[in-house]
Amino acid sequence: MPTVSVKRDLLFQALGRTYTDEEFNELCFEFGLELDEITSEKDIISKEKGEDRAKGASDTVLYKIDVPANRYDLLCLEGLVRGLQVFKERINLPRYEKIIPAEGEGQRLIITEKTVQVRPHAVAAVLRDITFTKERYDSFIDLQEKLHQNICRRRALVAIGTHDLDTISGPFTYTAKAPFEIKFKPLNQSQEYTASQIMDLYRTDSHLRHYLHLIENKPLYPVIYDSNGVVLSMPPIINGDHTKISVNTKNVLIECTGTDITKAKIVLDIIVTMFSEYCEKPFTVEAVEVVSPNGKTHIYPELAYRKEKVKPELINKKIGISETPSSLAKLLTRMCLKSHVIGNGNNIEIEIPPTRADIIHACDIVEDAAIAYGYNNIQMAIPKTYTIANQLPLNKLTELLRLDLAAAGFTEALTFALCSQEDVADKLGMDISATKAVLIANPKTAEFQVARTTLLPGLLKTIAANRKMPLPLKLFEISDVVVKDSNTDVGARNYRHFCAVYYNKSPGFEIIHGLLDRVMQLLEVPPNEENGYTIKAAEG
Amino acid sequence: FTEMPTQNFVESSFWNFDALFQPQQHPARDQHDTFFLQDPAEAPELPPGYTTKVKKVHSQGGYGSQGYKYEWRLEEARRNLLRTHTTAASARMLYRLAQQERFSPVKYFSIDRVFRNESLDATHLAEFHQVEGVVADRGLTLGHLMGILRQFFTKLGITQLRFKPAYNPYTEPSMEVFSYHEGLKKWVEVGNSGIFRP
Repeated sequence: MPTVSVKRDLLFQALGRTYTDEEFNELCFEFGLELDEITSEKDIISKEKGEDRAKGASDTVLYKIDVPANRYDLLCLEGLVRGLQVFKERINLPRYEKIIPAEGEGQRLIITEKTVQVRPHAVAAVLRDITFTKERYDSFIDLQEKLHQNICRRRALVAIGTHDLDTISGPFTYTAKAPFEIKFKPLNQSQEYTASQIMDLYRTDSHLRHYLHLIENKPLYPVIYDSNGVVLSMPPIINGDHTKISVNTKNVLIECTGTDITKAKIVLDIIVTMFSEYCEKPFTVEAVEVVSPNGKTHIYPELAYRKEKVKPELINKKIGISETPSSLAKLLTRMCLKSHVIGNGNNIEIEIPPTRADIIHACDIVEDAAIAYGYNNIQMAIPKTYTIANQLPLNKLTELLRLDLAAAGFTEALTFALCSQEDVADKLGMDISATKAVLIANPKTAEFQVARTTLLPGLLKTIAANRKMPLPLKLFEISDVVVKDSNTDVGARNYRHFCAVYYNKSPGFEIIHGLLDRVMQLLEVPPNEENGYTIKAAEG
Repeated sequence: FTEMPTQNFVESSFWNFDALFQPQQHPARDQHDTFFLQDPAEAPELPPGYTTKVKKVHSQGGYGSQGYKYEWRLEEARRNLLRTHTTAASARMLYRLAQQERFSPVKYFSIDRVFRNESLDATHLAEFHQVEGVVADRGLTLGHLMGILRQFFTKLGITQLRFKPAYNPYTEPSMEVFSYHEGLKKWVEVGNSGIFRP
């Protein structure tokens, strides 16, 4: 769940009214957001670095809002405000327009075939005559970071670059070159470096070092030039210092490069729709022509509006309400899905804006209608489904046994199913490969290297941790163990095992023997060699 | 409610994620959140016809959906892991239900262990138990889901409930269930639910 941090007063200013914390919490709850924390910059630094470092930090109240992972249009203040205002019917959803400049006047981005090996796709757009303030600028940078972390999968799928258009001149070229051939001054640095030097430079940077591996071992690194050879950026690592934007920038070129063209288009659409609010002509975006290696041209941003038709009965049926088609259309419009009734009132036509890339099926539309109606307003009902209840025989037997074992004076233990390699092998005097244990590839600690093949280590660890308790300790566990099995479709299976341990100052084999006899008696297994059970001496 | 067989901690990514419409690039499939297996690393068997359908819905869409439009890879689906939710078992049961000649309504439940690759702290363990329930029938609504949840929690002694819109890759609409905790004097999340995507 991504968290967006917004300044409370800015938020209320944009919303046009103030709320108490509870009122805003309610509003978030209704809409599907969660007001996670109310804090301030001072509090954050206090918590992380200590009170003295926090002196002088800002006291402005910050709201940390949790946003659903699939709503990319709510990742910044602008998006949140717009969403909430439309929800409360205070504004109509703005219409996003792309302006295609006259022939020869627009910007062009040419992709060469060299990028195919490393980072094939690119899209771009221009925000013309935009006015930034400090807050809008911070929000702009923040949104890019949020998108990077979220839909861009930490820049692996898409990387965003924003540039001051007035410092460069098109047409722009997106190509890939060998590391030593690329030389430029990276953002906020004071001198020029080659690409290989840049890799080393940022190896220790806490922020950027995580992205180096995305291109480090490739023969060619992606790079974007303008017509004069000025480097705009080397995606996905860093932009050039030359084109950095500031609060005074008036024209912004946004480019998104990546390995997933669908996501690159969505990311571009989100950025431009969010911030075109601040352009001279609000909610307009200047298109850029992108030429792919095979010569085809595309106009970006797409800003596609998709029309879907949904029957009102479907929506009513799925939610369990009965609203008229026109009120359903109104509910959907409140969720930024402009709708109206068509065809004698038995169908609703919905226009899905480019900001709602999360709508991919009619059921997404049904959910939005339900949210607008208010989940807690829906009448609760019990389904009339008649089914016969059934317990899994294995579990039923386990439950019965557990009761009787407790009656025999043993205490049940619930232990971890994951343990270290030594626990199942060395400590029991066996070789790891003989145990057929399932090995874990990425354990966080050595305690979780394998899935247990026997319950014994868990119980022994429990005894070790409870040595100080009054003796004797009588523990049992009936639970699953995991072993490799090539007969199953995944290659491993669970077995239900039963294990009991007796711990006292003097050994009590007769106690365990007695317990075993009792269990076998309950399970109706006779004590005889052929079709019952016997006790044999074992190694280890 | 009938109990589901959940005796497999080891699951393939296919049943745990792909069959549940969780995209292969989703962060939850990261190394950080899931225990992937070294041995056995890959599931030898996946249901062939179903796998093709799942691939199509992820990459191109289908059954009314636009899909995610990315390249779906079989190797990724084969990767074995320790299941992160018992919904993987529910997926298997629903698949089996779909193979039946005639549809019969069902109610399933399970209570079993799941594994998440997290650091241990006061509120998080690497392995914990999940209670899961599934109802399949014709004509079910969100209202029915809320009704069942309300009855379930009432039996546990939790009566003050509120529902909040949420997001799961495989359910739409989804709801988080909140209950008012007298001791903490605030609303805490007690459950998650939703109607499975078609």
